[in-house]
Amino acid sequence: MVDAARQPRIDVRAFTEVEKVEGFVGNFKVTLREKAKHVLADRCNGCGDCAKVCPIEVPNHYELNLAPRKAAYVPMSQSVPLIYSIDLDACIHCYKCVEACGSLEAIDFSQEDKIVEEDIGAIVVATGFSHFDPSVMEEYGYGRFPNVITSMEMERLNNSAGPTMGNLIRPSDRRNPQRIAFINCVGSRDKRYIPSCSNFCCMYSIKNAVLLKQMNPSVDITIYYMDIRTPSKGYEEFYDRAREMGIHFIQGRPSLITEDEATHNLFVHSEDITLGRVIENEYDMVMLNQAAIPQPDQNHMSSVLNVAQSPGGWFMEYHPKLRPIDSPTDGIFFAGACQGPKDIPSSVAQGSAAASRASRILLSERWEIEPIVAVVWPERCTATTKGRACGLCVKACPYGAVVIEGDKAAEIITAKCHGCGGCVAECPEDAISQLHYTDAQLLSQIRALLADKPEEKILALRCHWCSYGGADLAGTSHFEYTANERGIKVMCSARMDSDFIYEAYRLGAGAVLFSGCHPQDCHYITGQIIGAKRAVRLKKIFERMEMTEGRFRVEWISAAEGDKYARVLNEMQDVLDKMSPEQLQEEIARLKPEMEKRLKRFPGVPGVPEAMLYSDNLVDAILKSKEIA
Amino acid sequence: MIEQSHQPENEELRIGVYICHCGSNIAGVIDPKEVVAFAEGLPDVVHATDTLYACADSGQRLIKEDIEKHKLNRIVVSACSVRMHEPTFRGAVAEAGLNPFLMEMANIREQCTWAHGHDREGALQKSMDLTAAAIAKTRFMTPLDMIDVPVTHKALVIGGGVAGISASLDLAEQGIETILVEKEPTIGGVMSQLNKTFPTMDCSI
Ligand SMILES: Cc1cc2nc3c(=O)[nH]c(=O)nc-3n(C[C@H](O)[C@H](O)[C@H](O)COP(=O)(O)OP(=O)(O)OC[C@H]3O[C@@H](n4cnc5c(N)ncnc54)[C@H](O)[C@@H]3O)c2cc1C
Ligand code: SF4
Ligand code: SF4
Ligand code: SF4
Repeated sequence: MVDAARQPRIDVRAFTEVEKVEGFVGNFKVTLREKAKHVLADRCNGCGDCAKVCPIEVPNHYELNLAPRKAAYVPMSQSVPLIYSIDLDACIHCYKCVEACGSLEAIDFSQEDKIVEEDIGAIVVATGFSHFDPSVMEEYGYGRFPNVITSMEMERLNNSAGPTMGNLIRPSDRRNPQRIAFINCVGSRDKRYIPSCSNFCCMYSIKNAVLLKQMNPSVDITIYYMDIRTPSKGYEEFYDRAREMGIHFIQGRPSLITEDEATHNLFVHSEDITLGRVIENEYDMVMLNQAAIPQPDQNHMSSVLNVAQSPGGWFMEYHPKLRPIDSPTDGIFFAGACQGPKDIPSSVAQGSAAASRASRILLSERWEIEPIVAVVWPERCTATTKGRACGLCVKACPYGAVVIEGDKAAEIITAKCHGCGGCVAECPEDAISQLHYTDAQLLSQIRALLADKPEEKILALRCHWCSYGGADLAGTSHFEYTANERGIKVMCSARMDSDFIYEAYRLGAGAVLFSGCHPQDCHYITGQIIGAKRAVRLKKIFERMEMTEGRFRVEWISAAEGDKYARVLNEMQDVLDKMSPEQLQEEIARLKPEMEKRLKRFPGVPGVPEAMLYSDNLVDAILKSKEIA
Repeated sequence: MIEQSHQPENEELRIGVYICHCGSNIAGVIDPKEVVAFAEGLPDVVHATDTLYACADSGQRLIKEDIEKHKLNRIVVSACSVRMHEPTFRGAVAEAGLNPFLMEMANIREQCTWAHGHDREGALQKSMDLTAAAIAKTRFMTPLDMIDVPVTHKALVIGGGVAGISASLDLAEQGIETILVEKEPTIGGVMSQLNKTFPTMDCSI
């Protein structure tokens, strides 16, 4: 902590929040809100005279409300930076602090939040974790029975810098407890709350038992556990030591804690799996090892940073094995428990790893990004053909990368374009294309996928970041789904041109899935919204055509929703299975002219006639080659 | 501004197709040789072969040598997810002097054999179609150059717990200006609230 404050190249901005992150790798623009402390950082010398005279006491949440603090305060005496704050919610404006501060004149009641913008090359996200509130588990009585405490409360009560200076006392009568029970997996590994393991509580449970036993060998400590998880180097040995010290371990998950109202002693009711019996033991104090959970503002941060979340709510890495530190966004990295619960050694290691991943970029003069940007054919833009640019592309772009100057055709500012393809699909004149995702490329892919028995196939249009990842996860998790799915990938649902979908049905596709990210996960700010609007429009059009419900489906599937991807595809297969082959063929034939009508202008798009010609050939070859192979 | 690039006129396409076994991950469900035989019948495919691990050194070397030997100018790799190995194969073709954007992957592992393990015939048909679609895409691919952007040499670390502090120190010690943003009045995170910590049992601050 102090090292960070001492290092001249680290600028610690405490009491500050990230409001907005814009830009791209090497070139982020970050907006910070420096919250008002009502104390001037450059004048406060940390003497604490203000706190001494402040007459107001409120619970200190840093001490888990086990101790008070003043309205003029620092959370702990070792705070870094050591700058006091005035808590205006508690303050009664007696101004005794101002007087005490005297000639330093560090207190400034008029200070307001300050918004600052910073240019940043790379970002490390290390926002950590929060703690499960065990009061929702009524069977354990937390909040009702004073001597049932949480593990975080134990860390403070047992701490020489804590409110009792390390003298562990029971809250009901301030006596030193002699018989203490620790309960592991409170909220964790529990299908009702947090199904996953919290990673470090087995170890801190043993740690606290060892510490208490070292301080007072006569205390009697029992740890109730489901499994003891000690997978890192030296951890099992630590557990062995605890057992040698006489700490008791009972395998069983307590079902109930009751209290003797007179003594406030506690009775833990549990199964003892080793003995195969139900047991009930009396204790002076019980500690609940609450589950680690994502930060309460994790969803909000996930949309500020434009990064996705894993099923449990933690930030989601690019690849769990090969790129565990990278976020899917180039230039943003994760470290520590924000990506999933982990102990201090792993958090430190990830911090170093993230620094190293980030410095590849930060120590480079320039960085390369993929050239999958939009480009305009100026001769097709209405500015050229009708004298006025329609501007739909400008509206579609989430980054302001399309500009129209005077009566000139639309132009793309390449450095600003992130390559969502929204303008490409929105342009009514097909005057814009996207490199590496051109109409000709996508069209010939679709035609290849639907070459053989198209009526049996489900064409799935997926965005790169989410739904393609969801499909990958379905496979990785071996969630089986219909092998009639034929997937195609674009960067964002914004690129999913209506023409592709009409073309698929014209070719006789059994069904089409239009699938992108959830709106809050979109990699292109509002790209999904553009895609979703188009999808809704298409849905209405197909309804009007009386297409069988379910042959066109719109779903938002994240990279963490492999199960959903598989389920949606299987449901679409069910829709096709329910139709008789004749019924399906009849419907395809009936709708073909409708699709052709809507595709009238498609052959005018540059590259499309060539792709059509090529595909005719390719389709023949595919059918022939399948016969031979 | 980037120019719209067109298909080079009258360029003779020479496509090389690689069907990966991925050990038994793919080959345990379908026979890659059947996909090879299928691909050989498609337009512009001048060379198709199966390979035990396309991503391994030997697999990459094979592709690089073939580019030279068969004068290949488009590469299709039917293997795993692009999220896994697209950078690998782009790198490999680039080393052989081919523009990396002239390589296309077909995902026949995550999105095929792993998802349709109990439908071998379905998986085989799908592998063929996905390979054909990748071949079709390469027909209209053009060489592209990466876009080069400047870099601001300044880092932002969000969260001043032990992970954020460790990242900040490592960045700063490499000479990088680092802003460490913490929403609470003090850095330290949960660790600063802890008593002694395992495994060493030293003080946490
Ligand atoms: C009771 C208990 C005992 C433990 N004992 C041990 C032990 O003995 N040994 C061990 O190895 N591990 C122990 N751990 C685990 C240890 O606490 C974690 O490994 C460690 O705290 C993770 O560090 P972190 O930096 O990822 O997250 P955190 O410690 O949670 O730090 C995150 C920081 O980011 C800040 N932040 C959050 N959101 C934002 C935002 N939006 N903007 C700006 N700042 C933000 C937070 O205020 C905080 O300062 C224990 C955990 C518990 C609960
Ligand atoms: S670390 Fe131990 S106590 Fe914590 S959830 Fe996992 S098994 Fe339960
Ligand atoms: S949407 Fe198309 S036609 Fe309209 S201004 Fe943009 S490029 Fe021109
Ligand atoms: S809409 Fe998307 S593709 Fe078009 S210019 Fe903007 S970012 Fe680029």
